[in-house]
Amino acid sequence: MLRAMLRDLRAHLGRVAMTLAAIVLGVAFVVATWVVSDSAAATVSSGSYRTDLAAVVESRPKTTTDREIPVEVVARLAALPGVTRAEGVREGYAALIGTSGKIGTTSFAETAGTDWDDSQRFALTSGRGPQRTGEIALEAQAAAEAGLTVGDPARVLLGGDRSDTATVVGVFTYRATGWEFDPAVAFDADTATRLLRDRDLPPTAVTGFARIELSGADERAVVAAATAALGAGFRVESGSDLREKQAENARSDGDVIRKALLAFAAVALLAGVFVIANTFTMLVTQRTRQFALLRAVGARRAQVRRAVLTEAVVLGLVGSTLGVAMGVGLGLLAMRLLPVVGEVAYVVSPWAVLLGYAVGVIVTIVAAYGSARRAARVSPMAALRTDATVPRRSLVLRTVVGLLAIGAGAAMVAVTSPEDLTEPKRILAMAGAVLAWFGVLLTAPILVSAVLAPLTRLLRKPRPVTRIALRNAVRDPRRTAATSSALMIGLSLVCAFSTVGQTLSTETTAQISSAVPENAVVLRAAAFGTLDDTAGAAARAVPEVTALAAPRSGGVEVVAANGRSSDTEFTSLDPAAVGSAIRPRITSGGSDLRRGVMLAQRVGTELGVKTGDQVRLRFPVEGDSPATVEVPVTVVGLHEGSDLLRGQLVDDALVPSGVYRYGDSMYAVGADASVLRGALERAFASRPDVLVQDREQLLDDLLEPYQLVLGLVYVLLGAAVVIAVFGVVNTLALSVLERTRELGVFRALGASRALVRQTVRRESVVISLYGGVLGIGVGVLLGGVMQYVILANPVFGMSVPWLTAGVALLGMGLVGVLAALWPARRAARADILAAIATE
Amino acid sequence: MTNFDAAVSAEDLTKRYGSGDALVTALDAVTVAFGRGELTAIMGPSGSGKSTLMHCLAGLDTPTAGRVWLDGSRHGDAGRVELSGLRDDALTALRRDRMGFVFQAFNLLPTLTAWENITLPLDLAGRRPDQSFADTVIDAVGLRNRLHHRPAQLSGGQQQRVACARALISRPDVVFADEPTGALDSRAGAEVLGFLRRSVDELAQTVVMVTHDPVAASYADRVLFLADGKIVDELREPSADRVLDRIRSLESAARGTRTVGVGA
Ligand SMILES: Nc1ncnc2c1ncn2[C@@H]1O[C@H](COP(=O)(O)OP(=O)(O)O)[C@@H](O)[C@H]1O
Ligand SMILES: [Mg+2]
Repeated sequence: MLRAMLRDLRAHLGRVAMTLAAIVLGVAFVVATWVVSDSAAATVSSGSYRTDLAAVVESRPKTTTDREIPVEVVARLAALPGVTRAEGVREGYAALIGTSGKIGTTSFAETAGTDWDDSQRFALTSGRGPQRTGEIALEAQAAAEAGLTVGDPARVLLGGDRSDTATVVGVFTYRATGWEFDPAVAFDADTATRLLRDRDLPPTAVTGFARIELSGADERAVVAAATAALGAGFRVESGSDLREKQAENARSDGDVIRKALLAFAAVALLAGVFVIANTFTMLVTQRTRQFALLRAVGARRAQVRRAVLTEAVVLGLVGSTLGVAMGVGLGLLAMRLLPVVGEVAYVVSPWAVLLGYAVGVIVTIVAAYGSARRAARVSPMAALRTDATVPRRSLVLRTVVGLLAIGAGAAMVAVTSPEDLTEPKRILAMAGAVLAWFGVLLTAPILVSAVLAPLTRLLRKPRPVTRIALRNAVRDPRRTAATSSALMIGLSLVCAFSTVGQTLSTETTAQISSAVPENAVVLRAAAFGTLDDTAGAAARAVPEVTALAAPRSGGVEVVAANGRSSDTEFTSLDPAAVGSAIRPRITSGGSDLRRGVMLAQRVGTELGVKTGDQVRLRFPVEGDSPATVEVPVTVVGLHEGSDLLRGQLVDDALVPSGVYRYGDSMYAVGADASVLRGALERAFASRPDVLVQDREQLLDDLLEPYQLVLGLVYVLLGAAVVIAVFGVVNTLALSVLERTRELGVFRALGASRALVRQTVRRESVVISLYGGVLGIGVGVLLGGVMQYVILANPVFGMSVPWLTAGVALLGMGLVGVLAALWPARRAARADILAAIATE
Repeated sequence: MTNFDAAVSAEDLTKRYGSGDALVTALDAVTVAFGRGELTAIMGPSGSGKSTLMHCLAGLDTPTAGRVWLDGSRHGDAGRVELSGLRDDALTALRRDRMGFVFQAFNLLPTLTAWENITLPLDLAGRRPDQSFADTVIDAVGLRNRLHHRPAQLSGGQQQRVACARALISRPDVVFADEPTGALDSRAGAEVLGFLRRSVDELAQTVVMVTHDPVAASYADRVLFLADGKIVDELREPSADRVLDRIRSLESAARGTRTVGVGA
């Protein structure tokens, strides 16, 4: 029995190979994901543990600004018993100035400068450490971003608005401890003492150490001694605690990566399940007569079922083995190609291998189970018929469940509303969307007949090729549905994310476009920094500037006359610039900040405050003892808050001194935009930390992160699409095999080889386009719910990503053509004589 | 061979399969002509080369040696074509426009309706069916109320009649039928044969039919007897009895006991 089956499998090696390939791809992606996340986690933590640390001392700051340790503390600590070495570490503002004259973005500039020492903090990858003024060493990634290597001259922007030119003498990788950021630039100790300080500290200010690192054989003794010596103003952490914290961080970083990647692997796997199940079904269907013969000669149903399942297990095991091997290879290759500087760890855990096998075998068995049951139900009589088919369960149950899922999902979304979108409701709406998405997968076969069948009638006089292609596509709706569903899975998610991205970027664009005049020049702090007062003064000093909006935000409590209050934000700016250099979106009242405050609409609604009412603004004032200052003010209007103008808008002059506020952008307008821009570029030529841009560039910069994330998402979802494309090839190839006879008749009746190829190609394009249209439609709707859940916009308020949709549709057309290449060639080679011979 | 107006003719047609010990000569230098407007039946024991002869005549198979001409008076002088040496596309077009086929079974494309199957050769050529001729053919096969059915919804006899209609719709120079009644019961078979006969009588169609059934052969104007790849005898104005007699005498003439009429 089994031997007969296996021999039969061997006789159909081509079909077996196609099933195997589907399993291999699915398994490979899962295993590769696991390997990449293991390796990534290991890379994050590998080799960066320092063994030379007994303890680290930091000051416990009273305020956020004063946290440096006086230099003389080092000598006190060095003298303690058990301490073999005490090393003060400096941190200060430093940023490499690139060829554009502006600073780069790789490092957190506030702490990117440090002093070189020969501890394990630094691991040189080339050159040597800096020894005198005029020499620096660079962190590898920062050096790569600035395009600098050993021997190059480099310009560094420093605190106190100075810049320094030095020669790069070494490139290093950094071993960070605890929460420390990697620095970008290391100076020799003397130069560091002279140059390194916070961004806004004057060059003359005396600076201290950010922390002190202690070495010593007995860690506990060192910690105890240091704690006793320093008292309450300092925090002493042991080296092993720091290492443990760091390992924990690495683990959780690795976990985050793994979870994200596995979500994508799951999607690819789902597409794989469809492909494998479909291929299996075809494999069984094509052997109907063989099963019937087995039954006729006395095989019991259970035996046939078991035989098919055994076949699935064998294929699953073989496919998993190949898939695991390919996945490990792919994963390691991906780690090689990742832009990681320094040591890359390659980890293949037993879990990756086990998971690969589990997935491959279980998925194959699940996929084959239905086929096995159907194969067992083949009647022995079928052996006598030449047109015997495997009995199939009716689609009624599946369709009903699918429609119910769609209905329930839609209802779950519908019961929530944008006005009152709490966390549980967001989850409910998202779950509804996912449920409806599965519903569509279930109803896909009915959809195939419902959509494609009328198409033949719509085309008034279809050429025979088109007619036959369309008819073949709807011939077995399940098969077409499974094939296009696999495509739909990946594609709908691509389109959903694209819709969210598009909506976000449309919103951002609308916000910026309405707030910033088109001819405004935008001044922005580079590298996620902030703009200081001198930048504002410098801009105002440019004669071409007719109005300058320099919004700066901070925290404020708004207290209404009715006693209600709200902890929120304020943004202060020059009243003269409101309406000219920046335009709030006014929802009621006016915008003259000289006469009072503009409340954010949300706050106005929350407090029940209207235009003309009085409110008190309670500002926190910084200082040794926290205090607040209250300012009574009239509400002149309400506005729709935005990222540019956050919270309550007030006159610069209204904000009491000592209130912390910061801004990272300024907007200038003048008579002639290009003249203005030229003037501002000249004025800020000596400010590497300030970018001079127009509105378009600002938008590009703001939208770039979305594009990057979306790009990554597309690449990861690409795996699901690739597997699905493979499914199209599978379906076509097996269909062609199944239709040898009719292809022969078709050829005998006068269809040329080219015509046969064209017929198969059309069928392929029809299936692919159908999957494409379904995927895009479902994806945009899913995206609508996703942006609703994220932004609380109306569901149908999403922006449709026409470009992505167009490209996807074109891509699917192309997929159709490419997937048909081989099956079409096979079909065209059909041997007429063999086809029309009556066995 | 009498020198009459031939629709298809072949000269020294030879077909060999395999080589060495396994060499089979399926056709052995056959020279034959099929008269225009005649129904010719080819008979012979199983394995005698009937199908091979038909396939070579129709350009479905390539002979090892010899030549085949298709001679369509409807196409004027240019209508005389020699098949050997034609490329696949030219042969395909020739089959589409100038030949009709009825096979033993599985003649129809399952996804197309009866009407679409019938007009397929014209569709492929990009021609529109001549409605009055189509009506004639459809009424002759009696399929008027079955035109929008799929093959799966038709009986075997109805399917064969659809195939006959399709073979005639493009008014080909010749219709080749390989055991057209082989899979039918005698009643359905008689319908199909009657239809082929009428297409010859009423439409002046040329038909070449392979059969192993003496009754089927009796519908023909002329019967050719094939044995071991050679034409061994011929009969004009056959009746079933005369055909059977001739088969018996050929059988006894041949050494061994081959049964006529088993398989195609
Ligand atoms: N493709 C082939 N390969 C080898 N031998 C073949 C092939 N086709 C036919 N033959 C042989 O050629 C001979 C004639 O076959 P065929 O024309 O099919 O006979 P018929 O149709 O009269 O039964 C037989 O001996 C058959 O075995
Ligand atoms: Mg035969």
